[in-house]
Amino acid sequence: MSTPFAELVREHQSMVFSIAYHFLRDRTVAEEIAQDVFLKLFRNLDSLESPAHVTFWLRRVTVHRAVDYARKRQRRPEIALEDTAELRDRHETGDPMLNRRLQALVQSLPEKPRSVMILRYQEDLMPEEIARILDMPVRTVKSHLHRSLAMLREKMERSMGGSR
Amino acid sequence: MMDDLERQLGDALGRKEPSAGFEHRVLAAVERSKKRPWFSPRFQWAAAIAASLVMIAGVVRYREAEERAAGEAAKLKLELALKITSEKLQKIQDRVNQGNQE
Repeated sequence: MSTPFAELVREHQSMVFSIAYHFLRDRTVAEEIAQDVFLKLFRNLDSLESPAHVTFWLRRVTVHRAVDYARKRQRRPEIALEDTAELRDRHETGDPMLNRRLQALVQSLPEKPRSVMILRYQEDLMPEEIARILDMPVRTVKSHLHRSLAMLREKMERSMGGSR
Repeated sequence: MMDDLERQLGDALGRKEPSAGFEHRVLAAVERSKKRPWFSPRFQWAAAIAASLVMIAGVVRYREAEERAAGEAAKLKLELALKITSEKLQKIQDRVNQGNQE
């Protein structure tokens, strides 16, 4: 039997898990965070007014949880076991090596630009929507995007030049 | 306009699926949380309100006790002052009486 909440979990699990995974690149932790987020969703369902509100809320809470976890991990560093080729998605498109390189570069960004990049390229959101989720001015979102892309472009070009 | 890097980022940061059974684990965690009412927001609110009330009552009683102690101390001081004054007045009265008799 499928409850409305189970349907919500099924509908949003890949979004929530992927935000946490791209932020931390640790599958186990990303699943823990995703589970926590859904538990919190269950407790707060009454306050959410529409499916769009649920999606907005899930994105926002997942980013916050991932940021909190990253801060704690920074204080108490651990060895990430998942920074390997382990996570190969069946639906992965493009060059897997290039994908992993880009994921690692995104993960090396500071937390705010990292959140912006994940919401922009994983969720395909516009700067205005990202600004609402992250509670920051649109111009700040655009500036994070611009600078992060420039940094990634430079690092990719440098690594390609180095590999020649 | 999206350039190559942005397209590659779209591929690299595509959505991924959690491991099999994730949904069941979440639903099991929800069921477990239902059995622990102290995890529910309503219970947490009620506990927070109760704790606040206990704290406020404690502060009020502490202040009352402090005020009572300060009042008692003032009363004792006043009694002492009155006693000293009365003793001094008695001495003066005695001297006046002695002077009159002489």
